Amino acid sequence: MSMSMDSEARSAINTVGLTKYYGKHLGIEDVNLDVREGEVFGFLGPNGAGKSTTIRTILDEIRPTAGSATILGLDTHADAVEIRRHIGYIPGDLALYPNLTGMDTLQYFANMRGGVDWDFVDELADRLDSDLSRKVGDLSTGNRQKVGVIQAFMHRPDLLIMDEPTSGLDPLIQREFQKMVSEVAAEGRTVFLSSHTLSEVQRVADRVGIIRNGRLITVESVSDLRSKSMREVEFVLDAEAEVSVFESVEGVRNVVVAGNHVEMSFGGDMGELLTTVTERYGVADIKTTEADLEEIFLTYYHEDEGEGARS
Amino acid sequence: MTLANVFVKTASDRWLGWVIAIVSVSLFLLMGMATYREIDLSVYTSLPEAFRSLIGIGDDIDVGGLAINVMFGTWGAIAMAGLALAMGSSAIAGEERDGTMDILLANPKSRTYVLLSKTGALVTSIALATVALWIPIYPIAASLGVEISGLEVEALTLHLFANSVFFGLLALAIGAVTGDKGKATGITTAIMVLSFFGVGFLPLIDGGDAVTKVLPWYYFDGSDPVTNGIAWGHLALLGGGSVLLLLAAIVGFNRRDLKGQSVGTTMLDRIRGNPILNRLIGRLAGSARVSSIWLKTMSDYQSLVLITSAAMFLVMGVMMGPMYASIPEETLKTFDQLPEQLVALFGGGDMSTPEGWYSLETFGFMAPGAVILVTVVMGAGALAGEESRRTIALLLACPISRNRIVLEKVIPMMFYAVVVGFVTFAGVSIGSLIPDLGMSIGNIAATATLQTLVGLVFGSLALALSAGTGRTSIAIYGSIGAALFFHLFNSLGALNDGLDDLGWLTPFSYYLGNDPLNNGMNWGDAAVLAALAVILIGLSFVLFQRRDIRQRG
Repeated sequence: MSMSMDSEARSAINTVGLTKYYGKHLGIEDVNLDVREGEVFGFLGPNGAGKSTTIRTILDEIRPTAGSATILGLDTHADAVEIRRHIGYIPGDLALYPNLTGMDTLQYFANMRGGVDWDFVDELADRLDSDLSRKVGDLSTGNRQKVGVIQAFMHRPDLLIMDEPTSGLDPLIQREFQKMVSEVAAEGRTVFLSSHTLSEVQRVADRVGIIRNGRLITVESVSDLRSKSMREVEFVLDAEAEVSVFESVEGVRNVVVAGNHVEMSFGGDMGELLTTVTERYGVADIKTTEADLEEIFLTYYHEDEGEGARS
Repeated sequence: MTLANVFVKTASDRWLGWVIAIVSVSLFLLMGMATYREIDLSVYTSLPEAFRSLIGIGDDIDVGGLAINVMFGTWGAIAMAGLALAMGSSAIAGEERDGTMDILLANPKSRTYVLLSKTGALVTSIALATVALWIPIYPIAASLGVEISGLEVEALTLHLFANSVFFGLLALAIGAVTGDKGKATGITTAIMVLSFFGVGFLPLIDGGDAVTKVLPWYYFDGSDPVTNGIAWGHLALLGGGSVLLLLAAIVGFNRRDLKGQSVGTTMLDRIRGNPILNRLIGRLAGSARVSSIWLKTMSDYQSLVLITSAAMFLVMGVMMGPMYASIPEETLKTFDQLPEQLVALFGGGDMSTPEGWYSLETFGFMAPGAVILVTVVMGAGALAGEESRRTIALLLACPISRNRIVLEKVIPMMFYAVVVGFVTFAGVSIGSLIPDLGMSIGNIAATATLQTLVGLVFGSLALALSAGTGRTSIAIYGSIGAALFFHLFNSLGALNDGLDDLGWLTPFSYYLGNDPLNNGMNWGDAAVLAALAVILIGLSFVLFQRRDIRQRG
């Protein structure tokens, strides 16, 4: 467990047994999260896993059925207003006022919280290539999202909570966004962002928590996760392949051989695999694709679900 | 099966509204018949012929006819036409505003096909609702022992159907041609309300009769279908008009660019677009409309308040005075002879005096209605509206408490209630001064104050429902339904001893109950209404504080 290494850091977000039921329907159950100050924490899970429910609960939009949470040491319900002075937030499925311009929107929220440096807003708009003079209702999804991003960053909050913040943003802007996130972390501020794709968070996050079916399955450092991250690997060889050769390598699963074509799931050391293969065969072609989060779950966590989370 | 989808989806989107309307109108009919049964209807036969035709009562009036006429001819018809209007304006323009039209038209179906599916759903819904309204009439009458066999009930319901289809298609056509739901709703509502009232009071004036024939509503009940049966000519006009509207809709919808979720350009935007004016406005107002929640809320509803206030001031205020002065002496004398019970039935004003006239025409229904309209729309939109549009998420991420959000939504609602009340006061005062009717300005102010308060009661109810449920539909239907119920309860209460004892239950009895236009301010009444509003607003704070915010609309 890598998470207890730095016990001196204060918790930016801490939840204890956080549980939310919507009537009989489970939202989240017994979520124990500890996000440290100054880190970038990725909150990963497939659609409907409970990411937004967790975020909305700690933001006091909805109230937990059981458990409690603190943000920056403050109780998320009792000190909700004080907490909001220190956070920036992008809700999932962002909605803004369609009849306001981007600038109007920012001014509206700036007036409510104060402490906004307008030069910084201009800089952010510049970096994200956002036209703030247009009405939000006339903007495309991505351009609307930019207004949401600026709104969350503009007052330099101590903690940024972002629910799938890059949805709709093009790759260039996504990269700029990731830079902005890294800068926030470099200043010692905290970022908590949710996503359903690992690749999106692994570039910026220090650690990730994985949630599935309302339960926090694991919290790991990105480097640990990457080492076990599953890939789909395909080889086209110069000779007929033997299953046993591939199964001898650690981390190889589900080998399917068809003549000189072989496919497998792989979650080990890529160098070792390549060495083993090239020792025996000539490689005509190689293709690897990142396994999606769901596959990582299936491979590493599914079997453990009955006995509790693995970490 | 796009047809099944578009058609069935459109028809089922609003089933709740229709069900509520049908159940309410049926209940009103039950209450009406039960009440009219208690009163001596022989008074009607002694009425002058001219007056009877004016209020749409035939020679052989009976309990059933009166009840059906009042309930279906007014409440039922307005409710039905109003729902048809709502459905018609959302059909095309509403889907464009929601941004769902794009995906609908991505299916291999033509615009005409979508439009016809929507029209089919609209007409079918109205037809089903008409049948659902018609079915309970006989059991209700039978259960109360009221004889209705001599009445042309089917003729009236058929007229009701044609009228509702006309207004539904009017809204649909405006929406299809312009893509602007606001325009579709606004213009159709204006035509509906003005023609409803025009048909009601234009005949009082010399030559007014002829003018009513240009109003669509005239072809609904101008021929008194419940007595005289179906007027095929009138039905043909409504039907022909509907077909023309449909054709206009098809042509207009096919020829124009689809709108995205774009919000269009308002007059304010055009003014701001001019650099000189913009600088001027900026200097005057700063960035006022986004400087706080309450100012933004004020700005969001300014056009609603502007239109409502203008209508109250000009039509219901200023114009009513000269109109009263223009009513022939003889007609006024007729009013004087009316039995008290009958007067009560029409809202309780003695039409032979200007106070009675204003009580009936302006303050009876329209004035509280205008305040209720504004406050209910604002009360429902305040919290539930932000929730259904999901903008509440960012608002709640700001360092302000939920209580403050409620407070900043309540202030504009109260302020605008006062504005509508004040312009009504100003309009009526000016209207009474032009022909010098000799009304007490102080009493007008008292009445307008009570009007504001009674409106606020229902706006506060909408706010409480909005805060408690997060659903605009519950807030709007709940509070408007309550307002209609209590209004009817109040007017019927005057006729029915049993109900009269319960009169204290309806907020409206604290409004005109002590005839403030003649007697001046009744502070007790004002206190009761204010207390009710305060309790409901207080409840809103508690309910909103405790609740989970909804994520979806």
